[in-house]
Amino acid sequence: MTSGVVAEIEAEVRQLRASGRVPPGLEDELDRCFEEAAEASLAARIPVTASDSWFTSGHSIAGLASPVSLAQLGKQATMMARRRLGPSFRRLERRTSLGVAWAGEAASIQAHVTADHLERLAARSPLASRVLSAARPGESIASGAGIVHPSIEGPLLAWVLERLSAAVLERSREAPGLVLHTECGDGRLVEALVARGLDARGADPRWPARADGGTRILAAGALEYLGATVSGTLDGLLLTGVVDRLRPGAARVLVQLAARSLAPGGIVVLVSARPEAAVATDPVAADLAAGRPLHPVTWCHLLARSGLCELAVFEHDESDPDVFAVSARRAVPALLAEDGHP
Amino acid sequence: MRTRPVRIDQVIPSIVERDAVSHHTLEAQRVLHSLGFVSEIYACNMGLGLAGRVHPLKDLPRERGEHQWVCYQASIGSPAADAIASHPGLKLVDYHNISPSELVERWMPHLGEEVRLGRRQLAELAPIVELGFADSEFNRAELEDAGYRRTAVAPLMVDTSNLYCPPDRRVVDRLESARALGGHDWLFVGQMLPHKAHHDVIKALACTRRMFDPDARLHLVGRESCPAYADALHRYVSALGLTAAVEFAGSISPGELAAYYSSADVLVCCSDHEGFCAPLLEAMHHRLPVVAYGVAAVPETVLDAGIVLPSKSPVLVATAVQRVLTDHQLRDALVRAGLERTRANSVDGARRAFAQAIEQVLQAA
Repeated sequence: MTSGVVAEIEAEVRQLRASGRVPPGLEDELDRCFEEAAEASLAARIPVTASDSWFTSGHSIAGLASPVSLAQLGKQATMMARRRLGPSFRRLERRTSLGVAWAGEAASIQAHVTADHLERLAARSPLASRVLSAARPGESIASGAGIVHPSIEGPLLAWVLERLSAAVLERSREAPGLVLHTECGDGRLVEALVARGLDARGADPRWPARADGGTRILAAGALEYLGATVSGTLDGLLLTGVVDRLRPGAARVLVQLAARSLAPGGIVVLVSARPEAAVATDPVAADLAAGRPLHPVTWCHLLARSGLCELAVFEHDESDPDVFAVSARRAVPALLAEDGHP
Repeated sequence: MRTRPVRIDQVIPSIVERDAVSHHTLEAQRVLHSLGFVSEIYACNMGLGLAGRVHPLKDLPRERGEHQWVCYQASIGSPAADAIASHPGLKLVDYHNISPSELVERWMPHLGEEVRLGRRQLAELAPIVELGFADSEFNRAELEDAGYRRTAVAPLMVDTSNLYCPPDRRVVDRLESARALGGHDWLFVGQMLPHKAHHDVIKALACTRRMFDPDARLHLVGRESCPAYADALHRYVSALGLTAAVEFAGSISPGELAAYYSSADVLVCCSDHEGFCAPLLEAMHHRLPVVAYGVAAVPETVLDAGIVLPSKSPVLVATAVQRVLTDHQLRDALVRAGLERTRANSVDGARRAFAQAIEQVLQAA
């Protein structure tokens, strides 16, 4: 199409020139004027000689790599501050180290409280135990052998899989949509999503990375993975585990990261335990825990605040009333929606 | 079939925010992670915002070949290429093109040397690289010319997150109030480097204002990466009496960029050299018709979704822009074709092509 148009434009230019509508000498004048500006700028430039560049300085090229070292920069800045600010800076340093020690102790206490609390809640509810099993803080990959990994079942499982696969398949017509399950445990849900034709991956900080039989799992936490995910690249996101132990501030961050990582039309589904169940199980631990499960309405509020829409809640599962799921989608800009893209 | 490595690390000379090759490298890391590989990025220089995600080149692990592969993101001469050459692992090169030295060295002699070195290093790596992949057919052909035996095309993984950013209201309001006085808005997006030939867009604007549209304006968006060239452009605009008509917007936020894309009437590109040119696709995404000089990879990026000109004579460019702005049928057809083009060039497709290139090496005997 456009080659024909270009030929017409060239013909029009010939006509314009022939009819005298192109001012005579205009293009030469524009060229000359730019050359004058270029010469003036080049003459005013601070000269950069060849010897200023690393490649002609006679050194080994490989030895000249000069990476940015933040640790070094930090050390230099600290030394400079000590020199310039003297005693007042040293006082600040002392206070900071005391503060760090206090915060460390507090975090340690909170981790124990949270762990006890989650243990009791897990003992009370069979499904919650599976959902929460990925929420125990402070466990390492090495101790992963004793962990029961989440295995959501029954009507809740059907709802989660249906929400995710329907939204993702609707969105990505050309290729299997990309879905991430954070704190996926041994990856059973990832396998279920792959079986539904989705390009699903899992991430779990306490489970060794693996890639076999179409199941790909990375050893990474939800916040860590989503923080490094390029915006708008996930078609679906399933959050479990981490959502049960977040402080309110961290919950906001998680939701913002989730919203950012979703492509337009993408869906996030989270499965969590009810906070009422947590309080009923152990009110002391629930009150003292650093992080605790949130109500469905709170998740809806956070998701909506992050610009997500089409909120849906699944609750009152007869087999386990202590667990619920929430889903939300990133809106498709009207500009794209009207053309059926993406 | 080759032994599957544990890790595929990437090496890049310099990685910064808001840069197409840097973004591609970060996306490639994600693809490699998704394929189950451990993958880190190592750079000679990095933007502070990327600290923690990128490691200094000196920390690049040097494991035995079957366990570690290295992928070099080539776009300029760099010590990083030497680190790749001496690495014991299997080597891949992802080529994003290196600007010809003659286009830049008048303005930046040191850059002229660096690009010359970059082409030399690219050729030196050819015999020891398993697969060279490029983000365009144009770049792939250059790899073949440089002596690469096996090559493939894996398109640039463009940063689409910016495309969905809402336009900055203040910028939209400012541009709208200028539009109320009449005249069309031209846009060009790209770092202010000599081979991007901003001066040729200014020449075409000057012609348009004399011949067709006396109130036409031009917005130049992009970092002033070459002080001498930027200074020359400012002098040029002033000498032509176009100070009020040409805006040097500099490096701007995604919201501001969205505002420019949404408010402009046409994107005009007169670059002398482009290895891909992501702004062309960004413009198409924003329903902005494209008029571009058909050089290097530009025709391949635009295909049939824009006006690709055989020369960039100012009168020809001005006439082409005038045609696009006044022929509504043509404009609509270009917008439709542009949206089709952006769909065909999806990030998901580019990710798959990158993954396929890796699989291709794995499958090779």
